[in-house]
This record gives sequence, C-alpha cells and structure tokens, in this order.
Amino acid sequence: MNVSKKYFYLFAMTLVLGVTGCTKDSDFLEIPPNSIIPTETMFSDPALVLSVLGDLYNRQLDFSNFDQGWGSFADFSESLISDDGAYGYVQNTGWGYGAWGVDWKAAYTYIRELNLFIERDSASTKLTDADKARFLAEGRFLRANYYFELTKRYGGVPLILHSETYDYKGDPTYLQHPRAKESDMYDFIISEAEAIKDQLPANQNDKSRASKAAALAMEARAALYAGSIAKYGATTPAVSLPGGEVGIPASKANDYYQKALTAAQSIINGDAGPYKLYKVLPDLSDNFAAIFLDKSSVNQESIFITDYKALSGRTHSFTTNNQPFSVTDEPDDAGRIDPSLNLVESFEMLDNTFAPIPTVDGGGNPIYYDHPQDIFAGRDARLRGTVMTPFDQADPYRYKGAVLDIWAGYLLADGSVVTSGNAADQVALPGTTTKVQVVGKDGPINGVRYHTQTGFYIRKFIDPTIGSGRRGRGSDVPWIHYRYAEVLLNAAEAAFELGDPGTAAGYINQVRQRAGFTTDLTPAEITFDRIVHERRVELAFEGHILYDMRRWRLATSVWDGTATNLSDLRSNIGTAGKRSTQPWGLWPYRYYNPASPNNGKWVFREVLPSKVTGTNRFTLGNYYTFIGDDVRAANPKIVKQPNQ
Amino acid sequence: MKSYQGTFLQKCASTAYLALHRKRLLFSLILFFSFTLAGHAQNDTRVTVTGIVTDSVGAGIAQVTVSEKGTNNAVITGADGKFTIRVAGERSVLLFTSVGYSAYEVRVGKKTQLKIPLQQANKDLNEVVVVGYGTQKKASLTGAIATITSKDIDRVHGGATVSTTLAGKLPGVTYRMADGRPGGSAAIQIRNYGPALYVIDGIQQDEGQFNNLAPNDIESITILKDASAAIYGVRAANGVVVVQTKKGSIGRNNINVDAYAGWQNWFRFPKVLNNTYEYLYYKADAEVNSNIHVADPTKRTAITQDILDRAKSGTDPAYRSFDWRSFILANKNAPQNSVNVNINGGTDKVQYYVSGTTFYQNSQQGKEYMFRRSNIQSNITAKLADGLKVGMDINGRIETRENPGVPGLDDYWLARYAVLNNTPMDRPYANDNPNYLADMGSKQQTNYAYLNKRLAGVYHSDWRVLQSNFHVDYDIPGVKGLSVRGLYSYYIADYLLNNHEYTYNAYTYIDSTKTYKVTNGSTNPWREREQIKQINVTQQAQINYSNSFGDHNVGATVVAERISSRRTRNWIHASPVSNSLPLIYFPTADQYQDSDDKQARLGYIARVTYSYASRYFFEASVRRDASYLFAPGYRVGYFPGVSAGWRLTEEEWFSRLLGNHSPLSDLKIRASYGQLGDDRAPNGTDPIITPYSYLAGYNYNQGTAIIGGNPVTVSRDKGIPSTRFSWVKSKVTDIGIDYSLLNRKITGTFDYFYRKRDGLIASKNDVVVPLELGYNLPQENVNSDAQYGGEMSIAYNGNIRKVLINVSGNFSISRKKFLHSYRPVFNNSLDRYRNSGESRYTDIGWGYKCIGQFTSMDQINSYKVDIDGQGNRTLLPGDLIYQDVNGDGKIDGADQRPIGYGYGTQPNINFGFSIGAAYKGFDMHLDFSGAAGYTWYQNWESRWAFQGNGNLNTIFKDRWHRADPFDINSKWIPGKYPANRYNPGNGHSDYNVQSTFWLHNVRYLRARTLEIGYTLPGKIAKKAGMNRARVYINAYNLFSIDNLHQFNIDPEVIDDNSLEHPQSRVVNIGCNLTF
Repeated sequence: MNVSKKYFYLFAMTLVLGVTGCTKDSDFLEIPPNSIIPTETMFSDPALVLSVLGDLYNRQLDFSNFDQGWGSFADFSESLISDDGAYGYVQNTGWGYGAWGVDWKAAYTYIRELNLFIERDSASTKLTDADKARFLAEGRFLRANYYFELTKRYGGVPLILHSETYDYKGDPTYLQHPRAKESDMYDFIISEAEAIKDQLPANQNDKSRASKAAALAMEARAALYAGSIAKYGATTPAVSLPGGEVGIPASKANDYYQKALTAAQSIINGDAGPYKLYKVLPDLSDNFAAIFLDKSSVNQESIFITDYKALSGRTHSFTTNNQPFSVTDEPDDAGRIDPSLNLVESFEMLDNTFAPIPTVDGGGNPIYYDHPQDIFAGRDARLRGTVMTPFDQADPYRYKGAVLDIWAGYLLADGSVVTSGNAADQVALPGTTTKVQVVGKDGPINGVRYHTQTGFYIRKFIDPTIGSGRRGRGSDVPWIHYRYAEVLLNAAEAAFELGDPGTAAGYINQVRQRAGFTTDLTPAEITFDRIVHERRVELAFEGHILYDMRRWRLATSVWDGTATNLSDLRSNIGTAGKRSTQPWGLWPYRYYNPASPNNGKWVFREVLPSKVTGTNRFTLGNYYTFIGDDVRAANPKIVKQPNQ
Repeated sequence: MKSYQGTFLQKCASTAYLALHRKRLLFSLILFFSFTLAGHAQNDTRVTVTGIVTDSVGAGIAQVTVSEKGTNNAVITGADGKFTIRVAGERSVLLFTSVGYSAYEVRVGKKTQLKIPLQQANKDLNEVVVVGYGTQKKASLTGAIATITSKDIDRVHGGATVSTTLAGKLPGVTYRMADGRPGGSAAIQIRNYGPALYVIDGIQQDEGQFNNLAPNDIESITILKDASAAIYGVRAANGVVVVQTKKGSIGRNNINVDAYAGWQNWFRFPKVLNNTYEYLYYKADAEVNSNIHVADPTKRTAITQDILDRAKSGTDPAYRSFDWRSFILANKNAPQNSVNVNINGGTDKVQYYVSGTTFYQNSQQGKEYMFRRSNIQSNITAKLADGLKVGMDINGRIETRENPGVPGLDDYWLARYAVLNNTPMDRPYANDNPNYLADMGSKQQTNYAYLNKRLAGVYHSDWRVLQSNFHVDYDIPGVKGLSVRGLYSYYIADYLLNNHEYTYNAYTYIDSTKTYKVTNGSTNPWREREQIKQINVTQQAQINYSNSFGDHNVGATVVAERISSRRTRNWIHASPVSNSLPLIYFPTADQYQDSDDKQARLGYIARVTYSYASRYFFEASVRRDASYLFAPGYRVGYFPGVSAGWRLTEEEWFSRLLGNHSPLSDLKIRASYGQLGDDRAPNGTDPIITPYSYLAGYNYNQGTAIIGGNPVTVSRDKGIPSTRFSWVKSKVTDIGIDYSLLNRKITGTFDYFYRKRDGLIASKNDVVVPLELGYNLPQENVNSDAQYGGEMSIAYNGNIRKVLINVSGNFSISRKKFLHSYRPVFNNSLDRYRNSGESRYTDIGWGYKCIGQFTSMDQINSYKVDIDGQGNRTLLPGDLIYQDVNGDGKIDGADQRPIGYGYGTQPNINFGFSIGAAYKGFDMHLDFSGAAGYTWYQNWESRWAFQGNGNLNTIFKDRWHRADPFDINSKWIPGKYPANRYNPGNGHSDYNVQSTFWLHNVRYLRARTLEIGYTLPGKIAKKAGMNRARVYINAYNLFSIDNLHQFNIDPEVIDDNSLEHPQSRVVNIGCNLTF
C-alpha cells in the first residue's frame, strides 16, 4: 500500500465514521416517543384504562380539597389565616362576583376528556363486558358529580355529553350550546345516579372508586340542593333568570326533597353496603377526629374519598401547613388555619342549649379558671375533635408529649399585660429578676404568621402520624367527598322539609349521640335553625358552608357586611341567620397577682385579631358565580348571571 | 436513490455523504487523484527563513500567521514572536497576519533573519474575522459582525464565567448581570433578540458550555448579528456567538502561566438597623401608624418611652443589640483565584495547544458557599501530507458548586434574607453560647448560625463535561482553492447533585433552671440526588472553494450537518433516618423522576461569495433545515440570505470627489437581508412546542392516583394533535457603514437593523369557538413582532510620542414591538386598551401614576378621589396620591397606565468605552460599560417597613412621621417615603399596586476593569528563566454612577425585594509569565 492510498483510506474511513450517519434524513429526524400511549392501546388493557381513570379521579372538584392547599378552608369567618400572604380573607369587604369560580376552559377540557373516556370505553373491543360496564359507570359518575360542582357555582351550564370537534369550516355556531336550566342540571345528576347505581359495586371498602353508595350520596345531596333552592329561592326572587338557568320553581321543591330522602334512605337501609357512623374510640372527641384519619375497613362512615399514600409521590401538605407551631416539623410552616371563636362558641352545651364561651360572670367580672380547658367544659365533643384549644391534651400530639402552649401573656392586677411579640419570649415580671416565659410557644400573637392569632388551631384532618408534618414526606389523610353522617343529615333535612320531623329527629339524633349528646331532640325541637346548626358543626371545614348558605339564601344575612361587636358575638348563638362577618379570637391570660387567691389562674378575653380589618359582605350577585366575559364572548348563547 | 452494490464504506458514502449523491463518483475521483498528486509534491532546494515578529515596544507577538504568499505554506509564531519557515526561494513573499494587527508583507530576498514590526490595529481591515463555517477579512465583510479577542477577554477578572467578560465590549450585545453569586453568569443577548446560539469551535453548544470555558483558552468571540448568522440556520435566529479556542503554533515550545488572586466584596447590599434602640423606635412609630397592636390588643404598640429609654441607655441586657448584617456578611474579601498553565508550540507537522485552568470563587455571604472549576483544553493538529490535516480538539471541565444544605429551592437565598429578616433583638445562640443554636421562633430558618455544613447539611453538585472534536481538512490539489473538511464532534456532560439537608435542634435557655432546652429545629431531613447525562453529536461535511481570477474573487461553501442530542435525567428524593447516612436507601425514598429525551436536527447549507477588486462584495447563502419537532411534512424550512458591500473609497470618482486631503481613508456601505428559522420558543431556548404535539394519544406519567390503597401512575389525553404549524421565520435587515479616518487611526461602524419575525405561533381566533369545546384550537404560525435599533462604534489607535494609546467606544439601542396577532378580538375598549399588543412596544409594565404625597390629614379628609377604595380612611400624611386618569372619583384598574420597561428585562440601551495606554513596560486599561432603558421595581423588603416582621431597611428612615411617635396628635414631619406601617404587606394602597413611585428606570455607567500592568525588561525576565514576565493589579466594578445607589443595590439587580446576590467589587493581583 503506498502512501497516498493509505491516506485515502484513512480519510475515507474518517468520513464514514465521523460524518455520515448512514441513515436517511427522515429516519434521522424520527424519534419515537417514550411516554405516549396510543388510544387503541390504552383501551385494550384494564390496567391502562385505570391509568386514565386515575387521572380523572385526581381532577375531581370540591370546594375544598388537599391539592388546593389551605386557602379554600379559610374563608367565611370560620377561621383566620395566619400567613402574611393571606390576610386578604379578613381584610376584604366582600367577594368579587367571580369568587369561587373555576377555570371554565379547564372545566370543559375535563368534561371533554370524560366524554372521550365514556365514548372510547364504549367503543373498545378488547375489554371484558364487566370491565367496560364498570369503567363506563365510573366515567358517568365523575361527569355527573362534576356537573354538580359546576351547578353549585354557576347554576345551569351548557350540558355537553359528547366530545365535540371543530370542523374548520368557519362557522362555530353548531358548537354553541345555551345554559341548561338549573333544574335540568339537577335532573341530569339524579337520573345519571339512578342509571349507574347498579352498575357500580356495593362495596364499602373500595372508597377511592365510585360505588353504589357514592352515586346515591351524590343523588341525595344534589336533590336536597335542588329542593332547597326551589323552596328558599322564593325568598330571593331577584336571584333568578327568566330562562330558568338560575332558580327553580318552588313547586318542584317537594319532589326533590322526596328524591333526596329516598336516595339517602337507600344508603341508610343498607342497599349499598353496611355503612354506619364511626364509633370506635372511647373519647368522643378523638373518635370524631379519627373519622378523617382511619382508612381501615373499620371506618364504615366514609363513602367516597380521594386517597393519598405516604412514600408513593401522592401526599399533601395540609398537616405541614396547619400543625401547631410548638410541635411543627418545619420551622417555617405551621398554624395557618386558626378557627374562629364564632365557630367554637356555636358548639352546643351537652344539655342541648347554646351559650357563649363564659369569659365573664353575670356582673361582667372576669371568671378565673384553674385550668384553661375548664372554659370549654361540658360542650359537644365535636368541638375538641374539630378545633385544638389551649392546653388541650388531645390525641394528635400526645406522641410528642406536648400540650398546646396557647396563652397571650400575664395579666397583672392593674389590668396591664406583660407579653411579647415573640413566641415563648422570656421577660422578668415586675418585682422579679428571673426571666420567665410570658407568651405561649403557640401564640396567640397578633399578626405573627404561623402562630395562632385566634387562640385555636384546626384539628380536623391534622395527621398525627410521625413525619406527616414534614415537607419531605407529607400527610396521607384522605379527603372525604361523601360520608355517612352527611347522608343522615341530608335525610333529616329532607324529611323535615317534607313535614316529617319525627323521621328527621331520628336521623339527626344519631349524629348527635355520636357527639356525646345524651338527651335526644324531640320532633318538636327539630327546627330549620337546628338543621342549619347541625350541619355547621358536624361538617365544619368540609367545604359545605358556602353552598349551604347559598341554597338556603342565608348568605346575604350571615355575611351582611356589618362589623360585629362583643354583644353580637355572644348573642343569638345557634340561630340560622346569625351574623358572622369577622372571625373573633379567644385569648387566655395567666393572672399574676401574688397577693390574690386567683394568682396563677386563667382569664380569657374575646379579641378581634388586629389583622381583621374587613367585613364579609355577600351580595345578591354572589349567589351565582360570574361567568367570564371571555366565556360569553365566545358563546353568545350563554346568558349573564342575575344581579351582576 | 439508485441501488449501488459495493463495500460498506461505499454504501455509506453513497447514502448520505454531503447529499451530493449525483456527484459522488466525480468527487471520489477528485479525491483519489489529489492524494496521488500530493504524494509526489515533495521537493527541495528551499530556503529556511527565521525571524521575530514584534510589536511597537519590541515585545514578541505570538500567534502571528507567517505565510508564503501564493502557497498554502504557513507557520505561526511562538509565544516569543519567533518563527521559522522554509520557503521556495528569494522571490518568495512572506505575509504576516494576526488578529488585531495590520498585515505586513516582505520579500525574502537574501535575508534569512527577519525582524518584523507589526502595527497594532484593533479594527484593521485585514483582520481576519470568523464567519459562519469559515473566516473572512474584515474588509470584505458584508454582514453585521463584531469581534472581541483574547486581549480584551483576559483582562476581566470579575466573575467566574465567560459572559462576564463581555460587558460593554461589543456593539449590539446587551448585558445584565443580576446575580453575582460564585459561578454566576451575566445575561447576554444579541440586540435583545432572545437567547443567542453559541458555536464553539464550529459546534453548536448551550450557554452553560460557553460560560464555563476557561477564558484563557479563548482566542476570539465573534458576534453574528444579522443575516450573516443565517448560515447557522436552525436556532440562529437570535444571532450567533462564535467562539474560537486557541490553537497551537509552529515554533518554540512555550509554557505560559497566567495566575491571579482576588478579593471580592459585595458591591452593594441593603442596609438594616443594627441597634435595638433604633429598631424599637421605628417599630413603635410604624405600629402606631398601622394601628396594629401586636401582642397586646389593648394598645397600639407594646413599646413605651420607658422601654426606648432603657434601650438607648444600653445598660439593660434585655435590649442588647446584635448586628446581623456584619455577622452574616463576615466573609469580607472573599477570595477568588485562577491559575492557567498552557503549553503551546509545534512543528510544521504537528501543532498543539494544551492548557489547564483552575478557578475558585466564594462569596461574602459565607466561605462555605463556593464554586470551583477545572478546565482542560487540548487542541492538536497534525499535517499528514501536504494539504491534509487532521486534528482533535478536546475540551473538558469539572464544575463544582458546594454550599450548606439550605432549605428552599435556592440555597443562597436564606442567608441574604436573614440580613433583612432578623432584628437587632434576635440573637443567634441561646444564652450567647455558641454550642447552642438559638430558637428563633418562626424565623428559625434565617438564624444564620445554622446555615453551615455542620448543622444544615451539604449541597454538592458537579458538572463533568468532555467535548471532543475530530476534524480533517484536505486541500485538493489540481483544483486550486478547493478543499474539503469533515468534522465529528461528541459531547458528553454529566451532572451529579447530592443534597442532604440535616435535621437539627434549636435551643431556648431557661433562665430559672439555667438549662438549655430543645424547643425548635427541623425534624425534616431532605435528601436528593439528581443525575443528568447529556450527549450531543454533531457531524459536518464541508466543501470550500476559493479562488481569484484577476480582480474577481469567488468563493463557495457547501455544508451538510446533522445534530442530535440525548438527555437522560433521574432524580430521587428520600427522608433518611439519620444525618450520618450518606447513601439513599429504598425504604426512605418517596419520589423518583426519570426522563430520556432526544432531539435531532439537520441542515444543508450553501454559500457563494463574489468580490471584485476589493470594491464590490456580494454574498448569498441558503439553508435547508429540518427539525424533529414538527410534524412530518412540516419539518423542512428554507432560509436564504443575501448581502452586499461597496467600498466607495475604492472608486476613483469617489476619491476624486473627496480630494487628496480628505481624512476619510476607507468607507464601505453594506446591506444584508436574510431569513432565519427558529424552532425554539420566541424568547427562550425551550422547544417552540411540546415535542410530539403532532401525535394523538395519551401522555403517561401525569401523576399518581391512589386507587384501592395502591399507587397508580396516571395518564392524560394529549388533546387535539397540533400539526398546523412549522418554523418561525425571522427576517433580518441590516444596513451598515464601516469607515476609517486619518490613515486608519480611527475606525468605526454604524448599523441599523430591523428584524421582523413572522409565524410566531398562536391560535387563529377569528373563528371564536366556545370555551365549552374543551380544547384550544391548535396553534399556527400567525403572529408577528419586530426588534429594531442600531449600533455604532468608534476606535482610535495611535501614539503620543512613545505612549501608545487606544480609545474605543460603542453604543447600541434595541427595542421590541409586537406587530400583529391574527385578527384579535376584544370584548370592549378597555379590554383592547389593556390587553392589546397590536403595534405596541413589548415589555411595558402597568401601574398608577403617582402625582404626589398627602401633606396633612386635612388634605386627606377633603380629597375628592377615593385612593384606597375605603374612603381614604386608611391614609396618613405621606401616603401616595394616584392620578385618577378617568376622573371617576376612584382609583382602580382602569386608572392604570403603561409605566416602565417590564420586569427583569435586558437593557434597551447599552454602551461601553475603553481607554488603553502603554509606555515602555507599563500598560494601563480602563474599561467602562453602562446601560439604560430598563426598570427596577421596589417591592417587599424595599417597599414597606418591617416586611415579614423583619428588620427595617434603612431607606425607610427617611419617611413621613410624627414628631413624637407615641403622640398621635403631634406634628407630621415630611420625609421621602410614606409613613411606615408595621409589616403592612399588600394590605395598603401605598403598597399593593405598581406605581411610578416604586419603579425606577435605571441608568448606570460603571467602571468594569481598571488594570495597570508592568512587563519586566527582557533581560531581567531572561535571568529568571522566563521569556516574558508581566505583573498587574486589576480592579473590577470599582465604582458605578447610577440612580439605584440610594437603595443600596447594584444597578443590575432584578429581584424587586432587592435581596439578590449582588455583583462584587473585586481587586486582583496577577502575573503573566512565559517560559
């Protein structure tokens, strides 16, 4: 081989190795995707269909849920948010018409995907009939439940039941659908529930998928909403539209109440599985809190849940965000939801009466308590199951050996207060030199985030599992969409509205007995106020209050924009229309007067936390959420909401 | 393609090579014959010439190309300026060329020892400039191109990365270095087009690779600003930054050492109160104003005059002061240093440049926050035969970042936030005992005493990168001027992140028992590991032709190019049970992410150049590009470009017109127009659309659902496939003038440019489909925008007696306008006013116009316009008055007007100037740069007092306040800022909206580099065994003249809380040694 030949081969081989890819251009550019599954493949394997369905389950809507964070639990004067970014909840003087709306486009994207799911499942030839039928029923359940959520917010919306596609022909009018009547929405939800309930398993242990009981619970709640809108809508005739998109004729009320009662009773009678109230733990407060924690088969109260699981990538940060400051796992995360005194005082005395939290005696003099817990004595067990109170030794934090160190300072004989703006700060008291702690590790301190500012922390949904407050782990407490106690209360309300207080009392007393009430309410004692009250305390923070107050048309009374004073706070407890426009707090002080027998005892003051500068004002235009200009511009058949 | 039976080799060649399918055979033949001829081309009777090339002070100049005119015979001078070349004979003419110097020609004659003095000429016309896939003489350029060479780059010792060397150096390059942390980079863009394309030694690379080259290894950086970038096609629409690394040169082997050590101090950072008395005084003032009664609801403030008095006396231990700013920023004179050693030399057969560089930098916020980088560069070229060269360029680095394992996304943040968040009453250690970290309540995370590796854990990341380019050049004999080039490049980057954030305890000292009790800390361990592997492969084949026929010069280039990449990434998170476990174990892991993404692009490029008599220049190019991102059928785009130049001064009539005494020595008018394609997002580097948007189906792995207690990986429908779009097209027009005056002592350029982008993707919304349809209509190429402006530069090179002087300056301006969207629809006129972009400048912010401040309660009470939405009941003297533009008696969104240039944008105006002087062994350089036309907003810590219950930014000392803070009826005393409230957040009308009061259109001029050097006389250096020795002292960011100094922030900062890691002021000493 001569020199030139050697170089030629060297050069040529270099080109071969280095320059040419030996592939056609089109092959070079064709890169197969590694995480896209064709539709036909998807609907050929039940494991893959479940993968699609799992996403559809994840994207359900509720007023509150753990994926939305803590903000949705916060409003309506039921709590104050101790977070610098969230004081708007207590500083606004009302809500915009768009409040509580959803992203319309995202909502209908989800509906389209549900429609596609239903269509593709129906068209599948590779799935077994049993699988197809169950998937189909689940898709229809999710769709009906989602339309229910939209109806709660907007009244009637376009009811689209097939996936649509634009044909690029320039005329989109065939895609424009008007809003359905509000009653049509409820009729649809009810009829869907009836159609699918027997396609779904009557299995109370598979709570994360739709079941027969879930369908019936949805039906009962929807029918109850429809009935109450029909009945109480008559009190606000301005809240209606001539086309019926908003408002339901009063004549339909009884029919809906009857449907609600029938569906609820179907669950109560065991048609959908052996559901019952959770009664496991001896301490009724701990038992109440455990309803939301216990995912075992022992819990036959929860009907339909969104589940979470530690170490699976699907957890939430509710516990991280809201655990008491003194036992937080994260120095910069705790104590955001601080329940209000408004809520706390509405928990009844165990003798079925209502009373303010007793801070002063009849003469207006402060009451001195030996232990801070004494002031809460003799109340509904659900209080301490829902709210963490000062120095409570409730279960969630026993594992850390902690009691909640909630106290605002030393009250001196002259009425002045020794305290600090820093939690657990130590200051020498007058006449002494040794520094002592002058404010609770947990607060309350005005305006200092992550400590309580009302004197309370939330207990409902707080996870006592070690590590659940860590950002790196998170909590796996489930979100309960439907539970048996609500079914009972729905049945009670429907029966009451149908003029059957005896049946109503039977259901409501079951719920009350579980809360520690030993004296049943008689049928004569069942009033509208009682119905409203029972839902507020049983279902606090579960995302009901807004829709309840809307459907009863009470929202404009309860949140009328008028500031509240101490006597407002202490009066009319337990009445349905009681004004609640600002969240109050209750601050414990340690009395310091070595000369007095009361030295070291506890006194309490009602406090309007100073971050509360606004008042909640709900107007007629807030009864139905504003439908965006963009939505109506794109579909002129969508009529505007009333009073906006 | 015809079938072709043959060897594997031939098959491959036939399949794709150069896409010159039909000319394959001819081409092979030419190749074959040329090799054959080459083998016989050796002959003898040559003359050896040696010599030295020197600059005007007599120092040798390295890297000068010494070529025998009319041949391919060339060598390069060594570091001492010496060269040896064998030439044909006495009639040979030697041509000396070097970047930055005037070319020089000499006939060999009988001399065999030559001393060649080269004249420095920064902007000389014979300077060789890198253009796409080749080089050109500056005189023949027809595009808007700017170059900076190692001389200017090597002088900047202010930052870790290459981008930091470019401030004010190149007309048309916009610069903003908002974040000056160790290893940080400046944001640079070409004409604010968007992120540029980086091409390093012919290979397309990302910005990180560009930034982390060792500056010492860079020979030149060239900016292609107009259609001249079109040759780089795919992704070149925002301009191209072309980097050449240093190459070996023929001659003596040199060892060069460039070492420096520097001391960094933050240029500026907000100041806070550092004594308790002042803190309590301002806090009381703010609390009374805000009517917030922290801790005790019975009072406006818990602070009393008695407390203030005790705090002021300084004797009460309860009111001791702690100076957090000094405590946190204690690492003054934070070191940075760099050592580069390179060996450079070769023979006519082999030339090499081998270099190693280390760089280390830490921060004033703590010596445990550090960046370290080691680079190697090895460029070797071997001549295998006459006209045949092969080479291998290897570039590698290890880039390390290490700091305490701090909670939060950005581990550098908490330490700086701590400066503002901790008050003088907070103390880092319980009972001041350094063994016990203090419990600081909800400020625990900003207790700086725990932000160290011992308590917080360790964050450590490494990039390990290796780039190897293999290239072959062959000059085809027999066809004069024809050559071919092949290039294969393999790049692998490996990223490994290990982060372990520890659990820790914080203590409270219990005075009554004299004990320390654990009362706070973190029980949340965070352990993560991330691994990325990026592999890029580039293949290029190129044919060049260049020849002269009398006055006609023609050139042609044809290139085929394929670029592919693959990126794999995985990330795992765990919560270990103990701080002392360095590995990750499965039972504690809870999150895992995995991805494997590939990309592929290819292009065919052709360019022809023609010039006549150095007077008329013409160039045309076209690319055919294809990208994997688009649907089959939409993948290919064609992007042509043309440009022309006319040197008026070469025209006889023009010379006559000017006369003999004209100062104008050269004048060229040039113009270019080109289309460039882009498959990236309009202002980013991400793909213009999610890959595989053209496919239907389901995306797998869209989260997890727990079904029946078991995790299920979920999938989501991809939606309607998007097939109806393709490339974004950029059309760049550039008109420029290159001139020189006074016998080329003064040179400069002017440019005007207009870039119009068509085909920005958006949905066609003239057919308004109901939102209930449930999907967006697929995007199409419908919108357009424009970026336009101009640049100018001027430079003087000369001398006053023996002092060499060069002065240069440049100025650029560029602004972007949105042009048209596709038949926009607005719901009403306000919607149009607020949301239309049609024919408007982009990057405008909206806010209220502040027309003054209230001066009294009376004025507030009688003011007709509702400023705060609450009947003005929240207002105090000093509060802001907004203009009620629509006159409706209330201030709301409808009163907002465009203000400012947007948040975090690049400056619209950039400028720089430089002065250099040299006298005997001394040299001096002053580089300045500046910018304007961008906005900084005050917000958060820099908008209101005591943000987040923190300390007071001292700018708020100058505020409206009462004479006696405790007496709400005392007189109001005016100040600059509204009356302070205590941590008001967004709850007040002063603070909850953007307004002209809080935004500042920034202008600055800062001294970038000031350097004084001294080169030891040759004799002394020789005695020390060195050829050359230079020492210097160098200062970076010595001072700045700007309008943000009053806020104690660096003028380039973006973050509106003003807490960004600022740039540093750096003083370096260093030396350049040649052995």
